[in-house]
Amino acid sequence: MNKEGEKRDIAVRLSTAMVAGNLNTVHPETDEKPIIKSMDAVIGYNGKPVVSGMNFEIKEGEIVALIGENGSGKSTLIKTMIKEIPLISGSIEADGRDIRKLSAQDIARFMAIVMTGNIRPDYFTCYDMIASGRYPYTDGLGRLKDKDRETIEEAMSLTGTEGLSDKYVIDISDGQRQLVMLARAIAQEPRLLILDEPTSFLDIRHKLLFSEAVKKLVNDRHISVLMSMHELDIVRDISDRVVALKDGKMDRIGGTSEVLSVTYIKELFRL
Amino acid sequence: MITLLLAVVSVLLGTAAWGDPSYTTIIMNIRLPRMLAALILGGALSVSGYLLQVFFANPIAGPFVLGISSGAKLVTALAFIVLMSGGFHLSSLELVIASFIGASIVTFAVLMISRRTRRMSVLVLAGVMIGYICAALTDFLITFADDQDIVNLHNWSMGSFSGMSMQNVGIAALLTLIAMAGSMILSKPIGAYLTGEEYARSVGVNIPLFRFLLILVSSLLSATVTAFAGPISFVGVAVPHLMRRFFKTSKPQTMIPSCFLGGAAFCLLSDLLARLLFAPTELSISSVTAVLGAPVVIVVLMGRAGRAHE
Repeated sequence: MNKEGEKRDIAVRLSTAMVAGNLNTVHPETDEKPIIKSMDAVIGYNGKPVVSGMNFEIKEGEIVALIGENGSGKSTLIKTMIKEIPLISGSIEADGRDIRKLSAQDIARFMAIVMTGNIRPDYFTCYDMIASGRYPYTDGLGRLKDKDRETIEEAMSLTGTEGLSDKYVIDISDGQRQLVMLARAIAQEPRLLILDEPTSFLDIRHKLLFSEAVKKLVNDRHISVLMSMHELDIVRDISDRVVALKDGKMDRIGGTSEVLSVTYIKELFRL
Repeated sequence: MITLLLAVVSVLLGTAAWGDPSYTTIIMNIRLPRMLAALILGGALSVSGYLLQVFFANPIAGPFVLGISSGAKLVTALAFIVLMSGGFHLSSLELVIASFIGASIVTFAVLMISRRTRRMSVLVLAGVMIGYICAALTDFLITFADDQDIVNLHNWSMGSFSGMSMQNVGIAALLTLIAMAGSMILSKPIGAYLTGEEYARSVGVNIPLFRFLLILVSSLLSATVTAFAGPISFVGVAVPHLMRRFFKTSKPQTMIPSCFLGGAAFCLLSDLLARLLFAPTELSISSVTAVLGAPVVIVVLMGRAGRAHE
């Protein structure tokens, strides 16, 4: 696509995104079984609760957004889910199994992450970065087989990062890098994709490219997404349900348009 | 692949040292072990530096820069002097153990500091200071110890590949081989760890276990080097960096073997220069490696700082 065409395309998509927000699109309810089920989960650091009484589900093929102020516990929940920090009490089940009982490899094959942060290893190509998502599937020396290469190429085409393959991670823009990190997560073939404020430092074009890639991924592969996010326009645009965290509890959970009402947003963010 | 090239280079450098003198006994008993020592220990040192760079996600980490070599030196000197004055003789293996203890203590201290700061300059500065403290204490010990072996100890504490017996070379080779096998086994998680701790965990790396093994292997390598050749500066920092530049990759599967070969070549060259430059007076190996290696550190620092502001 030439530069002009690309620009126009983005403008069109931008305006659709805005319209979609106003129309309060209702997503069809999926009645599939939950792949994540949290029961009375209490999460926090060093035994001190940040959020308690968490009851929620994530269904197959569903995008769930986590919103709330800084420090409201969005990252805490994500860190608990990926077992970076232990669950204080209650339980979180992945596919009916307690996450505490899952091995590191089980977890790695079940969920993949994209973080906010800026990962910049030296002399590391984008291809190698995406290939690192194959870790849970490769042999003891980490050698790639044909199947792995196929998966990596699919992930690149889904995110539009084919052209970056030989570039170094350190040489591309922040926006491109997040798309590469998304491709890396896709190459991991997860059933649940966890995104921790993935678009925070991106320009509007890459915010859009990123969220569209996520949306496309969910449509194509029917995987689920849990994402914490501050950009409410993106949340409105792509998520099916929203979980709002406030004052140490799950303040509200429901359909996107329902939770993202102007009055509630003002209340949630104390505007 | 291309690493073969380096092997050839290091062999060539070896033969240069080899073809130089004309007495077979000298070659077999002094030159050959010395050449092998430079080869093995130089390789070990660079791999140890590479592992530390992975561990601290810091391109100027290395056993000497972080004070680990000096810590190993201090404890080894201590063991030397205490046991010598008690009339005991230290076996090479015991030397390595003492050296390993010293390396581990300093690594632990540096680890504690790294928990408190994410800034690589602070970490390195702290390492250099620890190194100075350990070196000063070692000098103190050497000054006040009156033993016939003091000259030997002094030579060793300056860093040198000379005075290696074939038996010592064998022990060094064995330990290095074990540690190299260990680091190759770790190469898959190392690759994942380069993408960052959180991403590594998310693909299934057991982070605490991995970090422990990484430090264990790295300490074993630097302890082996220090026990036999004393602290040798900047090889551990410079060589991995040069290799990364040369091969344009940070893949551990390439980096570990090429660091070994590159380090071997680097130390052979340095040892050759140390011996020949002002012959018959020998330079300490560290002065040569510092002159060759320290500029590399400066280049890395400047390059990095430039990139961080992009």
